[in-house]
Formats: sequence, C-alpha cells, structure tokens
Amino acid sequence: MRSITIALAVARKDLASEWRTREIVPALAQFVVLALVIANFGFQFDSRNAPAIAPGVLWMALVFAGLVAFGRAFAAEREQASLEAMLMTPAMPAAIFAGKALAAGLLLVICEAVLLPALALFFAVPLTFDEVSAVLLATVGMAVLGCLFAAMVAQVRARELLLPLLTLPLWIPFVVVGGQAVQSAMGGGGTATGSANGLLLDLDILFVVLTSLAARFVLDD
Amino acid sequence: MTRHEQGSAASVALMLIAGGFIFLFAPTDALQGPVQRIFYLHVSAAIAAYGCFAVVLIGGVVYLWKENAAADRLARAAALVGLVFTTVTLVMGMIWAKPIWGTFWTWDARLTSTLVLWIIYAGYLMVRRLAEPGRQSARFAAVVGIFGFIDVPVVHFSVTWWRTQHPGPVVLNDALPPRMLVAFLITMACTLVLAAVMIAIRYRIEFLTDQAAEKVVAPIVAQTRAGDAR
Repeated sequence: MRSITIALAVARKDLASEWRTREIVPALAQFVVLALVIANFGFQFDSRNAPAIAPGVLWMALVFAGLVAFGRAFAAEREQASLEAMLMTPAMPAAIFAGKALAAGLLLVICEAVLLPALALFFAVPLTFDEVSAVLLATVGMAVLGCLFAAMVAQVRARELLLPLLTLPLWIPFVVVGGQAVQSAMGGGGTATGSANGLLLDLDILFVVLTSLAARFVLDD
Repeated sequence: MTRHEQGSAASVALMLIAGGFIFLFAPTDALQGPVQRIFYLHVSAAIAAYGCFAVVLIGGVVYLWKENAAADRLARAAALVGLVFTTVTLVMGMIWAKPIWGTFWTWDARLTSTLVLWIIYAGYLMVRRLAEPGRQSARFAAVVGIFGFIDVPVVHFSVTWWRTQHPGPVVLNDALPPRMLVAFLITMACTLVLAAVMIAIRYRIEFLTDQAAEKVVAPIVAQTRAGDAR
C-alpha cells in the first residue's frame, strides 16, 4: 500500500515537472508528425498500400518516440542528481521505479494521442478500438522495459548509444504482436486482435514482474 | 604445458576428429549434396551458444544473489564465447542457405530471433565496457543477461511456434539416418568441449585482468585514504 502511494507520488512529481516545463510532450508530438512526413517520402505512399505500410510507420514512430521519452525520464534526474536523493529515502527502489515508469508511460500515451489520429488522417487508415487497445497494451510493457534500461544507462558513459541497443531487442515481442494486431485492425490481414491483446497482456505481466524484481539492482547502488 | 594449453590442444584434436566424422563417416545427403554437411557444426554451434548463454544467466543470478565475483567473471567469459558461437551459427547457416534457399538471408522467425540474440549479447558486452568497472558493470550486465536469456527459448521454439522456412528439429524427431546421427552427436560433444575450454581460457584472462586492475587500483585507493586521514 505504501509502495503504491510512493509510486503515485513519484509519477505525480514527474508529470508536474513536465507540466511546468512542457519539454518532452511538445517535442515528441512534433517528432511523431515529422516521422509520418519522412515515411510518406520514404515509402511512396498511395491509398492502395496504406494498410500495409501504416502499421509499420506507427511502430517505427512509436518505438523511437518511446526511446526519447524513457531516456529523458532518467536523464533529467541525473542532471539534477535528484535520483540519489530519492534513493536515500526509505522508499523501496521498485516503488520509485514504478512511479517513473508510470509517468514516462503516460507521456508516451499523450504522444500516441497525437500519433494515432495523425496516422489516420494522413494515411487514410481507420482508427479503431482494436488498434488503440493493442497500442496501449504494448505501451505498458515497453514503458517498464524502457525505464529499466534508461535507469541503467543514465549511470554509464555514452548513454544515448546504449539505450536503443539494450531496449529495442526486448521491445521486439511487443512490436511483433502489436504489429499484427494493428495490421488486422487496419484491414491488412494478420491474426485476430483478441488473441494478440491476450498475448500482449501476458507479456505486460511478465515484464512488469521481472522489471520490478530487477529495479533494486539497477537503482540501488 | 599449462592446463589451458593442454585443454586447447585437446579441443583442437577433438574438432579434427569431428571433422573426420563430418567429411568421411557421414553419408552425403541425397537431396542437398555436400552442403548438408554444414548442418553438423551449425546445429552444434547453436547448442553451444545456448549453453554459454545459460551460463551467463546462472552467473548473473548468482552474482545478484551472492555478489560473488567469480560468478560474474564466468558470466563475462561465457557471454563472449556464446557470441562467437552465435556468429558461427549465423554465418554457417547463411552459407548453407545460399545454395539451398537461393538467398543468404530471409526474415524467417528463427533467423530473425537468432540475429536478435546476437544483438542482445553484443549489447551485454557493450554494457560491460561502458559501465563503471566492478560492482556497477557486474550488476547491470547481470540484469541484461537475465532479460536477454528470454530470447533463447524464443529462438529454440520459433520453428514450432511459427511456420518457418528454417528446417524443424530433425535430431529430436528422429529424422536422421544412424550414421548422420553418430556424426552429429560426436560433433556436438566436441563442440561443447571446445566451448567449455574457450570459457575456461577466457575466465583466466578475466581473472588476470581483474587482478591486474586491483594491483593498480589498490595502492591508489590506499594513498587517497591516507591523504584523507591526514
């Protein structure tokens, strides 16, 4: 119970600081729209190939936006040396980690609220409940994994280089399953969204449990 | 000859014997011809890589649990050797794929997950290099090694979970003629010995590196402490 209160307090702190500075969300929103513009030129997009291309564009934009969001979550703490201060309190590292992941995940959800309608608008693909649910479910697992490695690389040299190397391979399951779900939601074939969402939920549970066990070793030094 | 030199000589001799079985004892495949002989080392290298990454996993868990420096060194050694065997698996597979499939690479589930495996453990070695040597690098690497191992069962079961172009498990399904099976089992045993010897040598190198670092660092730490005391 206490851990949940701490996690929520940490998340509230991060969201409040983002609300005051408005650093990450506007930058990410611009980034995802720019990614769509680049994809348009890269893929020679037309109305026929849209259902095949749009899911790929969505996941590429989301994955790279996620890397930036999660990297920032801990880079800011490092610049202020505030993470050490938080860890000196009797709060459990896992609770602090959960709070950071919750806040960073919510920032990514805000960015998705720009990305998904923009994709539907510019690429003329349907915006369905199945697509949104698959993206949101994938966000949970991506957030905990991304934040675990972001916390790790914040403490080492060349962190901008290392974060994608560690995070992307472990995000692949979410991109594979979520990618199929979004593809079928956009009418491009693939597996049924229901079973994909079940699998995404299983992956979320697995990685939430594993990362909360590992958080202690990454944060508490 | 030191123990490690004896081990290396023995494993080289064993690999030559395995080569004899592959090229002289095993029959030529009726459909694929001599290219099929790649199979023996390709599969053995993959199994050796799985074994190495299992050592990384166990070393990581033991390190996080007991803070045992030897467990960390073992994990470090096994990660590098595992990466070498994954490279061998990928390269031999590609050489086989070109004449059989007509292309070096296809985005098949098994090939892709093996490539991801390679990237994960290359990342593991990057963490080791970039983190602060000692406790931090050991802890971070242990976490990466534990999460990275999730991909090993994915690679292994990819041929049964998805419809792949990669051949399914022929050994476990009893699909090999007896002489091929003998050649395979001997190659596998020799490759596993080779992997174990490589890990042992690498462990010794890591041990000496740690010792040298301590020899350099310890006097500096003592000096600083003495300075602080004054």
